[in-house]
Amino acid sequence: MKYLCIAAFIIGEVAAGGALAVQPEASTNTEKARQIVSQVCFACHGMDGNGAEPANPEFPKIAGKQAVYLLKQLNDFKSGKRKSDIMTGIVAEISADDMSNLALYFAGQKNKPEIVMLPELLAFGKKYYEEGSPEAGVPACSGCHNPDASGTDKYPHLAGQYATYTYQQLKSFASSERENDRGLVMQSLAMRMSEQEMKAVSEYLMSLK
Amino acid sequence: MNKYAITLALTLMPLTALSVPPQQPKAEGIESPNYVWNADSGEKKEILNLKGDAMLGKEAYRGCQGCHKANGAGIPDGTYPQLAGQHASVLIKQMADIREGQRENPKMFPFAGKHVVTSQEVADIAAYLQNMKIPRDNGKGPGTRLDRGKELYLKDCQTCHGDNGEGSANKFYPVLAGQHYQYMLREIRDIRKGKRRNANPKMVKVVRDYTDADAEAVSDYMSRLMMPERAAEK
Repeated sequence: MKYLCIAAFIIGEVAAGGALAVQPEASTNTEKARQIVSQVCFACHGMDGNGAEPANPEFPKIAGKQAVYLLKQLNDFKSGKRKSDIMTGIVAEISADDMSNLALYFAGQKNKPEIVMLPELLAFGKKYYEEGSPEAGVPACSGCHNPDASGTDKYPHLAGQYATYTYQQLKSFASSERENDRGLVMQSLAMRMSEQEMKAVSEYLMSLK
Repeated sequence: MNKYAITLALTLMPLTALSVPPQQPKAEGIESPNYVWNADSGEKKEILNLKGDAMLGKEAYRGCQGCHKANGAGIPDGTYPQLAGQHASVLIKQMADIREGQRENPKMFPFAGKHVVTSQEVADIAAYLQNMKIPRDNGKGPGTRLDRGKELYLKDCQTCHGDNGEGSANKFYPVLAGQHYQYMLREIRDIRKGKRRNANPKMVKVVRDYTDADAEAVSDYMSRLMMPERAAEK
């Protein structure tokens, strides 16, 4: 009976697109969140989620991302669905309540604009972001993430992210090293992208406010 | 441990081992002697019994508009078809056929299969698209043999697809008005050679003996059809 239950659960989850959209609790404890940020998160993400000083673009900016998205990532790090040598150890020490608080805290911060490093990639990056690749069957990123990359609860905010980080994530979706995307959509489309396309679209995203 | 439970679990388990990218299943199509066009079965039947909610469909359509565009217009070069104002029944049938593998579409499948879009979402998306106005700037043909195109359309197509390319929601015949020339030409060719495996045998019979020039002429004529009540403002 145990296996049946497991099978039924997994199928249920797959049928739901693997998206257990956990909403963060509304009654946020900002003070508690700030305390954890100042002890743990700030070292890589900065107090306001815009990166530490000096910035390390391998660690994502998380300011102004959807709380639902941030909480899903924290939960996925905890369950092992998203793998990270660094984050796995960190979230193991954080309670479910505090993860909710943290998600709401960082969602409430304002994302700061970045300086573009490779402006020559922007024109193609913008075209790719808005049109995708009909030849290769890559949908336009803007279709889900919005033309200004502001995202929705289902598709995260991407504007102003470090190009290094976005590129890394696209690469790891393409190799299925990262596999916590809803319905395998990011993995499927990243596999159809060239490295140059990934770089250009990442640079373009960094240029968005 | 219950024997049946184990059997059931083993039967269901492979569903969970999704490969990346997800592979489209293959269902019997027109190549099979048992083929019944538009059989009253499968997911299509299930979705047709659901009530589509156009408001929810707008949000679910996000996963489609990266290719088919926010206004449903697809791309005028025909890579992606125009969907706005299409009959919900037709959209549901085609989606179900792709999801169950009767119509091949490896490009679209990873973003439209059951692993990522629910049956209810298909119903919602169809309701949303059906209400949308048909853009007027679809891809048109070269306009060189429209007389021949009209002749063929009136002889072979009009009975089912209507004077203005309005199709039939009840009969699952698609709206042709506003569709891209290149897309219709591609589908006619695919139907002709049996590549479109969910084709209506009546359609195969119609286009079987078309020359390329005739397929082009009739597609060109059809690309200029317009349904006044569903067309977008100028």
